[in-house]
Amino acid sequence: MKALFAVTKRLLASNKISFILTAVMVLCATSSGDVILSNGNYTWLLAVLTPFFFVFYDFTKLMHLGASKKDYFFGCLISYGFLAFCISLANTVIHLLIDPVYPARTVINLMDVCRWTENGMFVAGLQQMFFLLLVMIFLHVLLSMQAHWYGWLTDTLLVAVICVFTPIASLRAVLAGFFRLIMLNRNAALHIFVCLLLGAALSLAGIVVLKRKTL
Amino acid sequence: MIELKQVTKQYGQATVLKNITLTVDEPGIYCLLGRNGAGKTTLLKSIAGYQNITEGSIQVDGKAITTATLDTGVSYIENFAKHFNLPVRKLLKSASEVNPDFDCDFAFEMMDRFELDGKKKFHHLSLGMKTMVSTIICLASNRQVILLDEPVLGFDAIMRMEFYDMLTESFQKHPRIIIVSTHIIEELAKTIQKLIIIDRGRIRFFDTLQSIETKAFRVSGLQENHPMSLQEFFVQMVGHKGGGTR
Repeated sequence: MKALFAVTKRLLASNKISFILTAVMVLCATSSGDVILSNGNYTWLLAVLTPFFFVFYDFTKLMHLGASKKDYFFGCLISYGFLAFCISLANTVIHLLIDPVYPARTVINLMDVCRWTENGMFVAGLQQMFFLLLVMIFLHVLLSMQAHWYGWLTDTLLVAVICVFTPIASLRAVLAGFFRLIMLNRNAALHIFVCLLLGAALSLAGIVVLKRKTL
Repeated sequence: MIELKQVTKQYGQATVLKNITLTVDEPGIYCLLGRNGAGKTTLLKSIAGYQNITEGSIQVDGKAITTATLDTGVSYIENFAKHFNLPVRKLLKSASEVNPDFDCDFAFEMMDRFELDGKKKFHHLSLGMKTMVSTIICLASNRQVILLDEPVLGFDAIMRMEFYDMLTESFQKHPRIIIVSTHIIEELAKTIQKLIIIDRGRIRFFDTLQSIETKAFRVSGLQENHPMSLQEFFVQMVGHKGGGTR
């Protein structure tokens, strides 16, 4: 356990660039007009950037430091969980405290767009946390596969699905249904369950990919 | 114990390891010799589980080694190994945290002996110093199998001598299998117990240094008052002096 937490600590400590970029975006982003974007939305950037560093920067270095693949993998999952919690907390606090500062304008926060706030801020925060966890695990697995043929195949399949499903009405409904289930879902219990289920399935896929990962 | 059975490794059409069967069953310092492209790094990486082999099997202490082995019990370090850009002392501390078996005292003792500035960040070190830090991390890992791929690259003569001492001390403290791949043959002779010569993907020689003497005389037909150097023996074993086509 000590090694696992040491790996987690190292992963988070070496993620400074993601933290800085996100902080700069949150603090410096400005919008004009009657409808403005909440600065809290930019906290999601951390969830997108982090897997890139964990996969492409930290893996080799941790292996050379003497960490095991097992500790690396579970360290990543713990870090994603922790970061999902922090991002969700930050965005929720910004939505509660900063967004109301612009009373005359409409402030768009993704928590509203996804209709999570209809369940109250606490539940909305939880939904956001599990959704971000799913996003990070998905990106981690997808990025880990990029060195192999099946990574490129997955990229092609994802692009193909979007290209084919979007113009055809019946297929577009399927795609929209999927996104309603994993993202634009106001049924909190179902949403969290789906995110956890998909997260677990992707984690298992992540182990398979890790087992093939070379150095 | 390391056990390789009919190990073959191919990269596309090129066969780098050809049907290698090898058993390293007792603790000791082993020297892996071979020309550039002979398959040394491929062999070491395969034993470490950093890459898969095409055919055959590799076992370390009875555990099958592939990239799927999440905890191999093998520590491998290559030259130009990438590390976090931390001060040396903090890097060694991090290594001790991620690996519970890490010998922190040994690592810090070596850091002092090699006059490594503990406050200097890894990326600011010279090539030789970087290699030394990597080697210290690998040796202090206390794994049952230690694989060092050209560890003396970038070392000056004094550092190399110190390194050989460190290798001996580390082994005496924790007897285990240490395989060192190098091109500098003669210097390592006093440190090693056995020699492995690999050429064009095949093991040409695996025995003690003492046996080289008899073997060398047999190969070369030299008289006893003209003992053959390790380098000459190596050249005899790989069967070419260089310069020609391989």
